[in-house]
Amino acid sequence: MTRIKRGYIARRRRTKLRLFASSFQGAHSRLMRERTMTQQRIRALVSARRDKKKRKRDFRRLWITRINAVIHETEVFYSYNRFIHNLYKKQLLLNRKILAQIALLNRSCLYTISNEIKK
Amino acid sequence: LLLSSDSPLSLELSAKNNMASPSATLSLCSAFSAHCSVAPPRSLSKPSLSLARPAIGFLSTSAASTSRPAFPAAPKFAESAVVAEPETTDIEAVVVSEDKPKREEIFAVVMVGGRQYIVFPGRYLYTQRLKDANVDDQIVLNKVLLVGTKTHTYIGKPVVTNATVHAVVENQGLNDKVVVFKYKPKKKYRRNIGHRQPNTRIRITGITGYEEYPASPNVAV
Repeated sequence: MTRIKRGYIARRRRTKLRLFASSFQGAHSRLMRERTMTQQRIRALVSARRDKKKRKRDFRRLWITRINAVIHETEVFYSYNRFIHNLYKKQLLLNRKILAQIALLNRSCLYTISNEIKK
Repeated sequence: LLLSSDSPLSLELSAKNNMASPSATLSLCSAFSAHCSVAPPRSLSKPSLSLARPAIGFLSTSAASTSRPAFPAAPKFAESAVVAEPETTDIEAVVVSEDKPKREEIFAVVMVGGRQYIVFPGRYLYTQRLKDANVDDQIVLNKVLLVGTKTHTYIGKPVVTNATVHAVVENQGLNDKVVVFKYKPKKKYRRNIGHRQPNTRIRITGITGYEEYPASPNVAV
């Protein structure tokens, strides 16, 4: 076999690692020979995967909180749970994301919706 | 001449419109909701799309049209209503919006690909890949859950009957790559997988067909 030098194979891999970990804090973006950067990259990717699933839950919680806040202002003794119950009784299909956006920006529209479903 | 405000922070348009603060913020929200694609599919019925290929295409309005009355009394001609902005000497309103036609103040909530979006005429939207659509196809979205105008809201139970949202397919592409990294510690198991989800970019041209539906007047805030 002819002799093969490995050229830039290792350097390319390490450059990619360095770029990925470039925004990490302290030694986590500097130490390549002590394998800190590799380990932090793995932890970062694992967190990303786990949090992609968590993100759906987090946003739904946020939307519910926002809708609840606006619905409480409509009238006394009215809350998110009653609002959603009325929503389902009248067979509306609007989801919480849209309701939260409407609550933020077009609040009169949300009041219209809640009056409509209370009838 | 494609006329639309692509950037989500199109607040320069609002500098000219007096009734634009809800629409400017609504446009922010549409951009947010378009990119925030996390709604779990909770639809009770499957979304249906029909491809319409009319001989006369809905062309987006060109800037060089003559001026017409601003808020359309007949929303059927929505796409062709064009208003030339009056020349002002405001320094803040320097930006390009002199010849941009006034968009009608209407929005709809439409369900596409199992997800719901707030939709404005003239803006674009990324949805799940529509399999049979080619570029520059006219598309009709039937599942309209809510139509809102300045004065009235048409709340669909569950759908606003006969309301349709017309759109044009602009691009069939892929989302940005996400890295799915599977790892089990101490068990020598790691898999590095990249994933690009196919998507379709559609530009909304108009919202029609909601007029006969019972409307609820907007409550004063």
